[in-house]
Amino acid sequence: MLKKRIIPKFLVRGGRLVKARRFFDDVREAGNPVSTAKVYDSYGVDEMIFVDVDATPENRLIDGSIIERVSEEVFMPFTVGGGISDLKQIENLLACGADKVSINSAAVADPEFVTQAASRFGDQCIVVSIDYREMEDGTRRVASRCGNNLTNIDPDEFALRMQDAHAGEILLTSIDRDGMMSGYDVDLVAQLADRLDIPLIASSGAGSLKHVHDVLDAGASAVTISSMFIFSDHSPIKVRTYLASNGVHVRSQLGSRS
Amino acid sequence: MSIAIIDYGMGNVRSMMNALEFCGEEVVITDDLREMEKADRLVLPGVGAFGDAMKAIRAKGLQDPLTEFALADHKPILGVCLGMQLFAKHSMEHGGDEGLGWLDAEIMPLKVEAPAKVPHVGWNGVHFAEEDWLFDGIPAGQTDYYFVHSFHMVCTDETDRIATCNHGGTVTAAVRRGNLVATQFHPEKSQDNGIQLLQNWVGHEF
Repeated sequence: MLKKRIIPKFLVRGGRLVKARRFFDDVREAGNPVSTAKVYDSYGVDEMIFVDVDATPENRLIDGSIIERVSEEVFMPFTVGGGISDLKQIENLLACGADKVSINSAAVADPEFVTQAASRFGDQCIVVSIDYREMEDGTRRVASRCGNNLTNIDPDEFALRMQDAHAGEILLTSIDRDGMMSGYDVDLVAQLADRLDIPLIASSGAGSLKHVHDVLDAGASAVTISSMFIFSDHSPIKVRTYLASNGVHVRSQLGSRS
Repeated sequence: MSIAIIDYGMGNVRSMMNALEFCGEEVVITDDLREMEKADRLVLPGVGAFGDAMKAIRAKGLQDPLTEFALADHKPILGVCLGMQLFAKHSMEHGGDEGLGWLDAEIMPLKVEAPAKVPHVGWNGVHFAEEDWLFDGIPAGQTDYYFVHSFHMVCTDETDRIATCNHGGTVTAAVRRGNLVATQFHPEKSQDNGIQLLQNWVGHEF
């Protein structure tokens, strides 16, 4: 049976990995992308996601040479995002070795772009990444352009629209939980996983093994983990062991020799 | 051994090349028939829509020569993901298209029971006959491979199907007929299990 996926999410800035809180606060250096990818490959994580955080604000695309180097070193699936807004860019990233691309700001600006990309590269190739803010009145609002463009769109409704637009997966990120290690937005994940027919990847908030368990138990097909891997002693192996012993179906294979 | 990866503009050919080179083989990525003719073996990769893939193969004038390699010359060919689906006679994707027709099979949309999702994305345990050479060395209970697809192959001749997995129903995971071998999953993205399978394919005498 299909396993729940554990996915480290790496933010790339100027060719290096970084980690912040709520996207911009307290930015810390987190290593070299290629050597870090190799380490996580050896831990046997299920996929990786690389996002260039400055790409959209700076109107450019993630550096393809990083992707090429990663694909030479690790034989596992990875998704690449940051500033993608036309089909040619997707073609280039796939040619560099990416398996999937994540589309964020361009999906908010023009949902039809998601449909075009899916019809060209297949639904399974297109991950729509939705960033949102949790407002004081309890509502949630989608924010594009790396959180800078706060919209009136409800992330729940937007995810369903993206499914109709032929997104293959939804990557759901609460900006307010990014780097805070205080738990995922389990309520929204539970509600949305139930309504979506496509896989939902829950992102931002992992701080403990129980956080990861709870959001997978709520219906997420996969989780991304970033700060918890970088700044705590919870390795992917520890996460997987905990999940398996608590009834979550995860891969039992350990490590990689590549 | 020399292996030519067929480049028809659809698919992550670089990853396949990296994985086969890791296995120690000499690999070219090409759309040139002479290169394919020279190579000992061919790999047909593919990601995307079935109809677009067939259109691209026809536009490059590859359909008849590939069929000759496959059925007349009996050149070993490995199909992966959409490449496997192209081996079929026909696909229901986007209203229907004719495939290469090397296997008596039809490509159908995945129909799953909730809570299973489509696309079928992620690592799934593959079931195969214990003595099957393609899966030699894969440890029992650790047979996960990486899948990412929304359509799957239904074989008319059940003996063509050598591996399955379960995703809201039985899904064809690998097929084989003589020199033709294909996997729905991505061995080039399946870490150790994938490298082992590629080495098994490379090492098998057809």
